[in-house]
Amino acid sequence: MKTNFFTRLLLWTGLGLLLVWSLGPIYWTLASSVTPTEDFSTRPIHFYPQHFTFDHYARVLGISISRIGGVEVWKQFRAALFNSVVTSVAATVLCVAISALGAYAFTRLRFPGRQMLFGLVVATLAIPAYAVLIPLYQIMIKMHLVDTYVGVALIYVSAYLPLSLWLLRSVFEALPVSLEEAAQLDGAGRLFIFFNIVLPLAGPGLAAAGILTFLGAWGQYLVPLIFSPQVTKPLTVLIPEFVTKNFIDYGLITASGSIAIIIPALVVIFLNRYLVSGLLAGSVK
Amino acid sequence: MASVTVDNVRKSYVNFEVLHGIDIEIQDGEFVILVGPSGCGKSTLLRMIAGLEDISSGTVAIGSKVVNNVAPKERDIAMVFQSYALYPHLTVEANMGFSLRLAKAPKSEISRRVKEAAQILGLETLLDRYPRNLSGGQRQRVAMGRAIVRQPQVFLFDEPLSNLDAKLRVQMRSEIKQLHQRLKTTIVYVTHDQIEAMTMADRIVVMRDGYVEQIGSPLELYDRPSNLFVAGFIGSPGMNFIPGTVLDALQPAFRSESGLVLPLPTGIPVTPGQALIVGIRPEHIGVRQGDIEAIVELIEPTGAETQITFRLGGTPVIASVRERFDKHPGEKVLLQMDLSAVHVFDAKTGARLEA
Ligand SMILES: Nc1ncnc2c1ncn2[C@@H]1O[C@H](COP(=O)(O)OP(=O)(O)O)[C@@H](O)[C@H]1O
Ligand SMILES: [Mg+2]
Repeated sequence: MKTNFFTRLLLWTGLGLLLVWSLGPIYWTLASSVTPTEDFSTRPIHFYPQHFTFDHYARVLGISISRIGGVEVWKQFRAALFNSVVTSVAATVLCVAISALGAYAFTRLRFPGRQMLFGLVVATLAIPAYAVLIPLYQIMIKMHLVDTYVGVALIYVSAYLPLSLWLLRSVFEALPVSLEEAAQLDGAGRLFIFFNIVLPLAGPGLAAAGILTFLGAWGQYLVPLIFSPQVTKPLTVLIPEFVTKNFIDYGLITASGSIAIIIPALVVIFLNRYLVSGLLAGSVK
Repeated sequence: MASVTVDNVRKSYVNFEVLHGIDIEIQDGEFVILVGPSGCGKSTLLRMIAGLEDISSGTVAIGSKVVNNVAPKERDIAMVFQSYALYPHLTVEANMGFSLRLAKAPKSEISRRVKEAAQILGLETLLDRYPRNLSGGQRQRVAMGRAIVRQPQVFLFDEPLSNLDAKLRVQMRSEIKQLHQRLKTTIVYVTHDQIEAMTMADRIVVMRDGYVEQIGSPLELYDRPSNLFVAGFIGSPGMNFIPGTVLDALQPAFRSESGLVLPLPTGIPVTPGQALIVGIRPEHIGVRQGDIEAIVELIEPTGAETQITFRLGGTPVIASVRERFDKHPGEKVLLQMDLSAVHVFDAKTGARLEA
């Protein structure tokens, strides 16, 4: 396609804005995480660090703390990192598994109220989280699920299930039904077909649902603030606690924030391999 | 091998009926083709035989067993889909062996039967490939291989050739026919292409709008179509139709709208003034020494034969002749019709009239 200079300029400007918008904060976090504490109060603010230090990372990771004389945060950080990983992974696995089964049922099984039920589940997307927080809190208290992995993971599952269900139903609907019919004639049962024909072909959709759920769960703040106050406290709740009454520990916040970015980045990179399309090529037509 | 009996089968979707009482008896080992225009219900009927669609009323029997409530996998049939429906994540070998693996056949037997089928279809060198790395024709063969491996009672084909190019289609046509002669398994085959039906079938079932119009061998349908629809559907170029009425005369005769008068075969039950349609196939019109005046409109040589469109009064008529034709468009010729080959239909009901 031929594009004139003006179009190209417009496209590049758009791309530039997008990059600054999305990468700017990440750069600022990374830059701040290697800036010595003293430099945070100097003015004017510099775009890149004037001095370089790994002290903040050392404090977060508990390496030679005595030398720096900082507070002991490694244990808290480690626990929060673990909690974040456990709840996000559990929520992702559960959510994708349940929504895959549910979406398949909504796609291929004929039962009364099918459309309405699906509509209702998806409509819950429109309910804002804070509208259900208090009743949810009461339920969780009654079931003794506050500050447990199961409790938090279940909340994430219920939050991301409708989206995942919606997405996977479209994915399943796009699969040619003749494949399943062929398998049926070949003697396969419903579940066999689901696991051996449908799921392998829905890989990209499952990866997308997984990415959405994992990133969503990883970034949750309000829910864990209320439901994971102590034992299961995740990174998103821990990191803001580095702000105390008379001192904002920018170094610690940005260093732990930088580490907190790595995990979801790895997850996305891993799942991205399954997002490749064209897997269906050659099956029909 | 088994017979298939379709007895007064109906199919309704929600509140409209798409099949209105179909009766077909397919003999053991027979190659039967369901043919008809798109949307007439061929696939629906085939899928009901396969068990992929519920039967609204009537019965389908395979062998002597009514299978209305038998699951598809218990019917001992194999189906080849128009889209091939190969499992994209499995190799050709795994695709072909899929049903045997499900039936928990021993590995050695699976591999033996897959090899056998692959050899019949010339797929030996492709067994390790994935469907995406095959050409359309090869995919089509794998789909057939998957069916053959199962050694079913009945093969069902739903327009298996319609995604292939013309040349390959002709080739596969003869291969499928040879395959049937070799395996002698009952085949029910769906197509909208009457040439496919004519060339391959033992018997053809012509369908229209959810009804069976006629059942018969290819030549029976060609020589004695039981109504206007079948007459027009079978044969290419199609039968010529000349509308007109029965003349009030001693000897029954026909007068076309353009004034052409033809004698009618004796013994045909017609009444004077009755509206008729006379049909004649292109090869039964001669272009030499005739007595019917016509004007040449279009000449289409195909090499072996030439198709010539004439204007006969107001009606265009196509003749196909094997000899070379040296006239030009606009010229007058005298046509000759083989009256023993004329078909007579009632214009109102479309039914064939004969002695
Ligand atoms: N699931 C369905 N719901 C409603 N109508 C259908 C469905 N499947 C097929 N039909 C209708 O049934 C008729 C026959 O379809 P089909 O058997 O596919 O025709 P053919 O194979 O002869 O082209 C068509 O009019 C089609 O619109
Ligand atoms: Mg069809």
